[in-house]
Amino acid sequence: MASSSSSSFARPSTRPDEIHSLLTGVERYNPQNIGMLKAYLAHQCANPDPSTNHDLMANLALLKMYQFNPAELDVDAVRRVLAKALISPAQGDFNLCLYLLSDEICKTAPIDKLLVLRDYLERAEFDKFWGEMYGGGDEDEDDESVVDGIAGFDSGLRRLILGEITSTYQTIQAKLVGTMVNLDEEAVLRLAKEHGWGVSETGVVSLPLKAENEARATVISESIKFEQLTKILAAANSV
Amino acid sequence: MYQDSYEDDEFAGNIDVVANTYANVDEADDVGLEEEELQLMLLQQAQAGAQSIPEPVRKFLGHLHRNLLSCNVSDLAYNYETQFARLSDKFYAKAPWPEPQFVAALVGDDGLFLTLYRELYYRHIYSRLPLTLEVRFRSFENYCDLFNYILNSDGPIEMELPNQWLWDIVDEFIYQFQSFCTHRMRVAKRSPEEVELLRENDQVWNTYSVLNVLYSLIQKSNINQQLAASQQGPEAVDAAAGEFGGRPLYKMLGYFSIIGLVRVHCMLGDYTLALRTLENIDLANSRGLFTRVTACHVTVYYYVGFSYLMMGRYADATQAFVHILTFVARTRHYHQRSHLFDTVNKKADQMYALLAMTVALSPARVDEMIHGQLREKYGDHQHRIQRGGDEAIEVLSDLFLYSCPKFIVPNPPNYNDLEAAAAAVEPQQHQLQVFLREARLQVVVPTLRSFLKLYTTMGLEQLATFLDIEAPELRNQLMIYKQRCRQIRCTGADLLDGEPVPATDLDFALQEDMIFIAESRVGRRYADWFIRNANKMQDLVSTLEALQKTAAATAAAAASTAEPDAAASVAADAQVAA
Repeated sequence: MASSSSSSFARPSTRPDEIHSLLTGVERYNPQNIGMLKAYLAHQCANPDPSTNHDLMANLALLKMYQFNPAELDVDAVRRVLAKALISPAQGDFNLCLYLLSDEICKTAPIDKLLVLRDYLERAEFDKFWGEMYGGGDEDEDDESVVDGIAGFDSGLRRLILGEITSTYQTIQAKLVGTMVNLDEEAVLRLAKEHGWGVSETGVVSLPLKAENEARATVISESIKFEQLTKILAAANSV
Repeated sequence: MYQDSYEDDEFAGNIDVVANTYANVDEADDVGLEEEELQLMLLQQAQAGAQSIPEPVRKFLGHLHRNLLSCNVSDLAYNYETQFARLSDKFYAKAPWPEPQFVAALVGDDGLFLTLYRELYYRHIYSRLPLTLEVRFRSFENYCDLFNYILNSDGPIEMELPNQWLWDIVDEFIYQFQSFCTHRMRVAKRSPEEVELLRENDQVWNTYSVLNVLYSLIQKSNINQQLAASQQGPEAVDAAAGEFGGRPLYKMLGYFSIIGLVRVHCMLGDYTLALRTLENIDLANSRGLFTRVTACHVTVYYYVGFSYLMMGRYADATQAFVHILTFVARTRHYHQRSHLFDTVNKKADQMYALLAMTVALSPARVDEMIHGQLREKYGDHQHRIQRGGDEAIEVLSDLFLYSCPKFIVPNPPNYNDLEAAAAAVEPQQHQLQVFLREARLQVVVPTLRSFLKLYTTMGLEQLATFLDIEAPELRNQLMIYKQRCRQIRCTGADLLDGEPVPATDLDFALQEDMIFIAESRVGRRYADWFIRNANKMQDLVSTLEALQKTAAATAAAAASTAEPDAAASVAADAQVAA
C-alpha cells in the first residue's frame, strides 16, 4: 500500500535454505513440514524489522497445508499470517491469503475481526480502524488477542498509513494526521520534526513532493522499437 | 527441481492401492460362476460385441491401432482430430462408443491401445452422456493405468501421439478431477448409496494423486530444466532432457502438465503458485511450445489473466486477455471447422467478460478491434460497473460467476455430518466474496475519475456536493483512489514480479482541502505515422516497378507501336501517390 511497496514474491534475505527448498519442491505438500513453516512464521512475528520480517510465499504455503489438511488447522497461526499480511506494504497480500481459506475459517472469531479491521483500513477509515483496535467497550480482551504477538504491528501500520498520506497530500492539517495514525497533535509534531516536514503556525504540515503526490500532467510520448524500423532500414540499404 | 524430494515408488504404490480397492468390489458379482465357464461366456460376448460394431468404426479402430504401432503421428492426428469426431457424431451421438472389451477382440488385446481407447471412450461419455459414479471411478482407474505405464517403465515407452491428443489427455484428466470434486461436494444431491460408495473410495480422484501425476510427468521429462536451458541453445536442451525428456511424448506431456498444474492451482485459489509454476515458460516467445495447440495457448492466457485479476493486478490482466483475444480473433477462420471451435469460442467469450471487468475497474486503452468486440458484447455491463454502487457489484458478480474457473475443495466433505457438509459455502462463492471485497473499493476509481476529469482544481466540499457524500467520506475515497491507482505491473519475463506503477491517466494531489488535478495525455504518434506511410510508399513503388517491368516486357514482345502508354500512366499514378 505504501509508496515503498515492493513485490512480496521474491525470496527475502532472511529465508533459510531449508524453507526455500521446501517451497520450490513437492515437499510443500508434505504435512510433516507444517511444524517447520509454523516455526518460521513465529520467527517472522518476533522480528520487528519491517524490511525483512514478512515472507508471504512461505506463509501461503502454510495456509495451503491447512487447506489440504483441515485436521491440522491452527486458527492462531492463520490469525498471525493474516495480521502479518495486514501490515505488509505490498497491496493484495491479505487477499491472497484469504483465497486459500474457507468461508468457515473466515467466520471464526479472530479472523472475522481481522476482516473488519482490514475493511476499515482499505476504505481509508483510519479513525474507525483505531477505534475498533483499541476502542473501549466490553470486548477489550478479544481486541488484544487479534494482533497479539506481532512485533512492530502498530509502527508497521503507522508507516503504511503515513505512506498513504504522503502520497495523497502536499499539505495537511497536523490534527488530521493525528486522527489517521492515532497520535495526539504533539506526537505528530514530533513525527514531523523527525521526518523533516515543515509545520506552519496554523498547524499545517507541508509534506515533501514525490512522484505520487506531485500530480504533474505528462504527455506520454511514443517509443519506437527497433523492429519497427527494420523494413525501412533494409530499403535504405538497398538504394 | 523435484528430483531430490520425489520418490517414484511412492507414486506407484498410491495408485495401485486405489485401483485395487474398487476393482474388488465389482468382481463380487461374478462369484459363483466357474472360471472356465466365465471365460467362455466372456469370449462369446466379446465376439458378439465385436460383430455389432459398425463397419466404418471397425475400420477406423484398425487404422488407429496400426498407426499407433507404427508411430505414424500425422495419420494419428487425422484419425484423432477429424475421424473420431465425425464417427462420434454419426454413430454415437446418444450412445457410448463400443465397450472396450469388444474392441479388444479387434486389436488382439493390445493393452496400451485399449488404455488409450478407454480414455477416449470415457471422455466421450463425459462430454455427451449422463454420468454414473462407476464411470467416474473406472475412468480414474484407466488414467492411473495410463500414467503408471508411461511413468514406471524402465526406459521411455515406444509411443508417439499428436500434440493435440496429449494436451487433451492432460486437460481431460484435470477436468474429470474437477468434475468429481464438484460432484462429491454437493452431498445434498447424492443418494445414500452414492454417499456410501464415495466414502468407501475416498482415494479415487484424490487431490494428492492428481498432483502427483502432474508433478511426476514434469519431473520425468526434465521439462523445467529443458526450458531453463533453452537460452543456451539446442545442445544444452538435449543435455538437460535426459533419456525420457528427449522423447516428444514425455517432453510434451511434461510441458502440458505445467499448464495443467497452473489450472489446478487456480482451482484451489493459489494464484501466486499458479504464476510461479510458469516461471520457466516465456510467454513473450511467440513460438513457445504452448502455441502448438490452440486450446493450450488459450488456456495459459486465461489462467494467467485470471490470476492477475484475482491479485488485483488489473492492468496485467487486461494485457493478457487482450493478447489472447487478438490471437483468437485473427486465427478464427483457421479453426472454424475444428472440433475445438466451440470450446475456444466459449473460453474467448468468458475472457471478454473478464476483460470487461478489468477495463471497467482500471480504465485502459485496448486494441481497436478488441475494444469494438468488447463494446458490442459487454458495453452495457461496463457502463453499469462504472456507475458504481450496488448495481456495479451485482454486475461484477454475474460476470465473475459466468467466467471464473470451477473452484474445488481438495478434500472430501465430512460424510458423517451430511447436514453440515451440505450447508458449507461453495468455493465459488468464497472466491467471489474475497474478490468483491477488493473490487468494491476499486469501483471508486471509475466514478471519481469521471468527475475529476472535468476540472483542474476544485475544492473538496464542492466535489463532495457533486457526489452527494460528506467531505470526510470523500477524503477517504480520494485516498482509496490513490491507493488503487498504483498497481504492480509485470516488467520482465517473470510473471509474479513487477513494479508499482500509476495505472491511471488521471492523477491529483491535495493541498489541505483543495484538489489539484493533472491528466496525462498520449502524445501524437508521429513516428508511427511516418513509419507506416514510408512502408506503404515502399510497397507501392515496388509494385509499380514490377508493373513497369511486365509492361515493358509485353510492349517489347508486341514490338514497336504506341509503346509506353501503360508505363506512362503508371508513372503518373506514382506521382499522384507520392
